[in-house]
Amino acid sequence: MDGLLALAQAFEQMATSQMLFHVIWATLLGIFVGSLPGLTATMGVALLTTLTYTLERDAAITVLICMYVGAIYGGSRSAILLNIPGTPASAATALDGYPLAQAGRAGYAMALATAGSAIGTLVGILLLVMLAPPLAEAALRFGSFEFFWLAVFGIVISGQLTGGITPLKGYIAGLLGLMVAMIGSEGIHAHIRFNMGIPELNGGIGLIPAMVGAFGFAEVLTVMWRAKAKVVNAAGEKDRILPKLADLWRYKFTIGRSGIIGTMVGIIPGVGEDIGAWASYAAARRTSRERAQFGKGSYEGLTAAETGNSAVVPGALIPALTLAVPGSAPAAVLIAALFIHGVRPGPMIMIEQPDFIYSIAVMLIFATISIAVFGLFLTRFFVLVLKVPREILMPLVFTLCVIGPYALTQRTFEIWVMVVFGLLGFILRQMNYPMAPLVLGIILGALLDKSLRRGLTLSDGDLTPFFTRPISAVFVVIILASIILGIPTVRKAISRGLDRLLKKQAKGTADG
Amino acid sequence: MTFDSATADRWTSIALFAMGVAMLIGGYTMDRLEIRQIHPASIPGLVPMILGAAMMLCAGLLFLSARAAHSAVAADRGEHPKHSSAESSPNLFFAASYSVVYALALVGSMPFALATAIYIAVFYIHFTWDKTAPIHQRLMRVGYGIGFAVIGAYAIASLFQYGFLVRLP
Repeated sequence: MDGLLALAQAFEQMATSQMLFHVIWATLLGIFVGSLPGLTATMGVALLTTLTYTLERDAAITVLICMYVGAIYGGSRSAILLNIPGTPASAATALDGYPLAQAGRAGYAMALATAGSAIGTLVGILLLVMLAPPLAEAALRFGSFEFFWLAVFGIVISGQLTGGITPLKGYIAGLLGLMVAMIGSEGIHAHIRFNMGIPELNGGIGLIPAMVGAFGFAEVLTVMWRAKAKVVNAAGEKDRILPKLADLWRYKFTIGRSGIIGTMVGIIPGVGEDIGAWASYAAARRTSRERAQFGKGSYEGLTAAETGNSAVVPGALIPALTLAVPGSAPAAVLIAALFIHGVRPGPMIMIEQPDFIYSIAVMLIFATISIAVFGLFLTRFFVLVLKVPREILMPLVFTLCVIGPYALTQRTFEIWVMVVFGLLGFILRQMNYPMAPLVLGIILGALLDKSLRRGLTLSDGDLTPFFTRPISAVFVVIILASIILGIPTVRKAISRGLDRLLKKQAKGTADG
Repeated sequence: MTFDSATADRWTSIALFAMGVAMLIGGYTMDRLEIRQIHPASIPGLVPMILGAAMMLCAGLLFLSARAAHSAVAADRGEHPKHSSAESSPNLFFAASYSVVYALALVGSMPFALATAIYIAVFYIHFTWDKTAPIHQRLMRVGYGIGFAVIGAYAIASLFQYGFLVRLP
């Protein structure tokens, strides 16, 4: 009840004409960014962070959240019409969206994607409001020992889940991020590490220039490298652009389940929207009656993927707000933006700014309403957006990549950081190193470093409390289990063992 | 050798191993701040040493598993083929080198708006240039590129200079 009251108060506070104006332009821009293949939500949020320095706190965060929600949703447009996901989050959407577009049902596919995204985000918001306050309260019991394992857990899980079938590259990306975080003044004795004689490195590597490089410049290079995409002949332009309520009702369980899966995936540190979409899609395919239709133009598959990826957004904000550990790459940028605007995410948030979580929920609700309205009524406009030539867009994007990070500190050094991370990010991505663990490493490096050394100081160099305190022990078990299960030979042995067991059982039943 | 190959992975693993060694040595030789009488468990080099060792381990595993991992990835791609896309190395090379020149050389050596206008115009004209098109079409393309570049560059420069009060580089 208190939560509902706080939500109503936040709504009343934020429903101003100025805020609605910000919601409209930022969501439109977000859908635009997400629609264009190559421009990701992370890049959009990172670039927009550099444009929101002068806005007041709530307006700035609203703009960034609308960009985030809009971009994740916008990715479905190019996935459906071009068979190229606008953002990695929409890769699963393309599987059924594009066949539907080819069959002349592009309009209806986009309508279903819109409804799925909106409902998915709403499910996520509900869980955010329900889970964030108790999680923040629980996190108050975390000490240095637990925070150390939380940071390790974030890197390991993120590496494991984003590294695909070769989690080793995910772990390496995470380690690289942690190494980057070791540069500059450390948090306990203010000793400067690895500055290589460059005074500008004393303060460390800024997250925003690094992210703008790794996600902005690297995307520009990827887009210019690849062949131009062609928009599918949208026979769907004459198609129905409003979803049938009957269809939504038919898929109610799929929608609900995908919303919950997406939110839960969002809560896992550094995993992100693409995994949310794939996990929801896989769950829907396993249980669907129209399983054979999946991958050939299934409405259910499309709805599951879109609901799943959108639900990750509020989910990713749960650990970001309560633990300062991002659930996804765009959430990592949001954490940096929160610090810039004077909000200190972490366990203390429910004590220092208890209403802020509800303000975030209201911002997400505004963004959801916007994507629903724009998505359903501006379908044809967004088809036009996909036709913007990359030769026009990319130099503008790169110019913003240059001036945005510079504007943060007004130092040319930030441009160098952006360029280096852009080139490295491009190469690493082509070599199948996921970017999310790298970003998470940069964010969690300081937490891991300080917590380990502080914990060791408290225990006078004794490692035992790192393994014997209850929460720490749980983390240790999960981390070890996920590392062991990540080893291909172990995975194969387990699946062989399970197969044998199932065969034995089947034989036993047949004999019986 | 392509970016995504076992050979590339092996070379990367050697570079990563070297980085791990450097981090380990860097952490070990780092000032232990004895003069400040800090707790020996809180020395600044502790975590870099651990990270260096972890990176060496991962790099070693990457080296050893490069071939097997690529066979597994190839088999996985057989089931879920990647979106086919023809890639253009000259385009990549031009976009990368020209963008780096703009960011690190043009910006700062002349007014930001001018540097940006040059960058956008050349970028646009280069990527839309069609040798086979009639001369008047090519001239129109150049004119359009310059016009678009000037408007774009001055809009971005003005936004940051007057909107966000940034002293432009």
